[in-house]
Amino acid sequence: MNASAKTKPRFSSDLPQVWIGIALIAITGFGPSIMGNAYWVHTFQLVNIYIAVAIFQNFLFVDAGQKSFGQGVILGLGAYVAAIFFGLHEYSFAVAGLIGLFAAFLGGLLFALPALRVQYFHLGFVTLSAAIVFPQLLMSMDKWTNGINGISVSIPWIHEEPIAGISLLSFLVALYPMLALGIHYAIRRSRLGRQLRIAAVSPEAARTLGIRPGVMRFLAFIIAAIGTGVAGLLYLPTVSFVSPQGFNVELSFVFFFAVVVGGRGQMLGPIVGMWIVFILPNILLAQFVEYRLLIYGILTLVTVMLFPDGIVGTIERWRVTRGVTGRGEQGFRLDSFIDGLEGEDEHKPTDKIAVEVRGGTKRFGAVVAVNNVDLSVRQGEVHGLIGANGSGKTSLLNVLSGLSRLNAGSFLIDGKDATRMSADRIANMGLGRTFQTPRIFREFSLWENLKIGMDAAEGEPGRDIVKLANALEAEFSQDSAELLSHGQRRLAEVMRAMLKEAKIILFDEPAAGLSQSEREHFAKLVHFLSRKMGKTIILVEHDLDLVWNVADRITVMEQGSVVASGEPEEMAKDPAVQHMFVGGRLA
Amino acid sequence: MLSEIIIIVVRGIAIGSIFAMIAMSFNIVHGATGILNFAQGNMLVLGGYAAFFLANNVGIGWWLAMLVVTGVLVAVVLAFQGWITLLPLRSSVEQDSWIISTVAVSVIVGAILLITQGPFAYSVQAVVPPFRILGVRTPGAYGLAIVCMLFWFFAMRIFLRKSFLGLAISALSQDFDAARAAGLPVRRLQLVAFAISGLMIGTAGFLVAPVISVSSDAGLRYVLNGFVAAVVGGIGSNLGTLIGGPLVGVITMLTAYRIGGAYQDLASLAVLVAILMVRPQGLFGRTSARRV
Repeated sequence: MNASAKTKPRFSSDLPQVWIGIALIAITGFGPSIMGNAYWVHTFQLVNIYIAVAIFQNFLFVDAGQKSFGQGVILGLGAYVAAIFFGLHEYSFAVAGLIGLFAAFLGGLLFALPALRVQYFHLGFVTLSAAIVFPQLLMSMDKWTNGINGISVSIPWIHEEPIAGISLLSFLVALYPMLALGIHYAIRRSRLGRQLRIAAVSPEAARTLGIRPGVMRFLAFIIAAIGTGVAGLLYLPTVSFVSPQGFNVELSFVFFFAVVVGGRGQMLGPIVGMWIVFILPNILLAQFVEYRLLIYGILTLVTVMLFPDGIVGTIERWRVTRGVTGRGEQGFRLDSFIDGLEGEDEHKPTDKIAVEVRGGTKRFGAVVAVNNVDLSVRQGEVHGLIGANGSGKTSLLNVLSGLSRLNAGSFLIDGKDATRMSADRIANMGLGRTFQTPRIFREFSLWENLKIGMDAAEGEPGRDIVKLANALEAEFSQDSAELLSHGQRRLAEVMRAMLKEAKIILFDEPAAGLSQSEREHFAKLVHFLSRKMGKTIILVEHDLDLVWNVADRITVMEQGSVVASGEPEEMAKDPAVQHMFVGGRLA
Repeated sequence: MLSEIIIIVVRGIAIGSIFAMIAMSFNIVHGATGILNFAQGNMLVLGGYAAFFLANNVGIGWWLAMLVVTGVLVAVVLAFQGWITLLPLRSSVEQDSWIISTVAVSVIVGAILLITQGPFAYSVQAVVPPFRILGVRTPGAYGLAIVCMLFWFFAMRIFLRKSFLGLAISALSQDFDAARAAGLPVRRLQLVAFAISGLMIGTAGFLVAPVISVSSDAGLRYVLNGFVAAVVGGIGSNLGTLIGGPLVGVITMLTAYRIGGAYQDLASLAVLVAILMVRPQGLFGRTSARRV
């Protein structure tokens, strides 16, 4: 069956989910007021505030990959500090609110600072620990917080009902989660959003795209803290009272569990999740209030075990598997796009040196992976790097891209010493690479998988690149990258490096796993990159035919050392190389 | 004054030994599975409850028998939890569902304890009499905590280096795929690791029951302090826990005496953030694991 472009289902249902979410919040936010049911008005005011917090939790959880058990603390900081200044010290609500927001920001900073250095479960424990400490501090610092008695506030003007029985407060607490949803969607669609996600899924690939994963995690915690802090300011007039019991660990768990049960990463997840996790035990099963924690825990455990994508995620998965069809080998070909590129005139390798390694040595414990290697690659040349498995080729590539550091010696990129530079700085100097296992992100559409290369480009894209990008976007924006074959994934990575406008591209065994026609296609692509676009290319490869076909110079490595280096013709006669060919075919 | 210093140091080290045992029980599971069990604190408290129900005001013989029973019971509970936790990992691409499931289990165990036992802390009678260190009377359970920590440290050292089972589990922590390729029954070894961790934490909870807070909400606080001890020592290093645990114990004890008991957890949080900022791999930790 041929799925034509018109009937192609959406790759992502984020946008429709946002609209459905806004509608659901509007119904629950305004409906009870119009009906005049005070109980449900109040309940849904609180639920919608919690939904806003859960939306930022969802962003943090999936878009930034950070598990936080402390979002209740941030909400509490906003609400409590505002209450202290407004309720106890009689500042105006605006001033108290600003101070509260700043307090929430500081709380976010407490999470964000360790995030610069570590990730994963470490931050889970930091945030959980904050969730435990926070109510303890509210109790023991009673000089400022009123301790166990809490703080009551009264803000009459916010309860006035300008239209249709809907109070100003109802408006605010309904509009805010809608806004939060919009913000989440906008960030996810932005360059920042894509970079956050790459950093979360593959910190290594992120660094080679010029992204600093620690900074990304830091930013995510700060964004979530500010968003949650605003929710804290709305909490204050809604509940009119803050007390330490209101911000215990349980509250933080509610936000976390709501996101899991509703569907991690789905725009609607926090809404559906909060309805189930909060409304089910607190309202419908209110007579079993002591079982509330048990219900949270069991709901979450059952979700993880039976349908890990959560409720909305399971529906979404069903939609995707029903609708998406692969496009086979013809699904992702680059010839037509490349033929469209005019390119510059024929480029030739110049005499300038693009990459130079001087006495580079890399050890892993007792193993010397790269041993006193000298290598120089001219600008614009295709440099083949060959040798048996374990001869140090990939280790050398990892050094050049900054993923690991030399123990001795140095290397220069475009004449600048890059020996001690981090991977993201080297990437920003115009170096791009591919991996042995292509880094393809299933969270992104095929086009977005390519676009992250453009995100990483330094400076404005050239005219050709814009034209190419537009063509690719039109073709692949609704395609799933998950269905690509191995060879297509490699091509996607090459295209990513091309869109990054990297001046130097490192290929790590690009032909492994490629079919014969894909290899030919790849060779053409390398030739095009080099001759039409003037890229410098270092090619680590076992397919010697391919290397001899495209390389201007070849370096042979053996057990970490360079044993020969030169033009392909002379290299074919070199005894160090000849034994690599069956029957000395190229001799 | 001097006696206060002795109290802080001795009790700090003893409380820290409990943290160290939690950290060691983390290490064996983390090595074999990559999982850090957020419910480990509840398992310690379960050991405490077992001491209350099975061995309160009993003779030494019965007490010793119940120590073994408790260890086995908690080992079974943890093996079951391990089985549940590892189930979704078999197929799922995403490997971190364990964070969610172990937190959920922690909440469930805490909630069940709250529903069945109420919010109060149980007090468990000491079996080992108090002793004097430099003239300061110290409850026997504090001594037991230190002895228990040292026992498990050496037991694990011998087990992981000398026994076939222990070597197989060590192999898992070295290289997961290679262990599988070498034909080791990975899943079963992981469950054994969970069970051993339960044996450790169950006996620890039983022995220190007279000096810990045996209550439904205490688990989270213990697991956090245990984690801080593990991070300070370096995750994966049992030797590190011998330093990390007592260090965290003394710091929290010092905080309790000088600033106030309500600030103990704040002090551990501060230690955690500080160590993560300055030396995330801990005192004895290897720098981040090798990746391809």
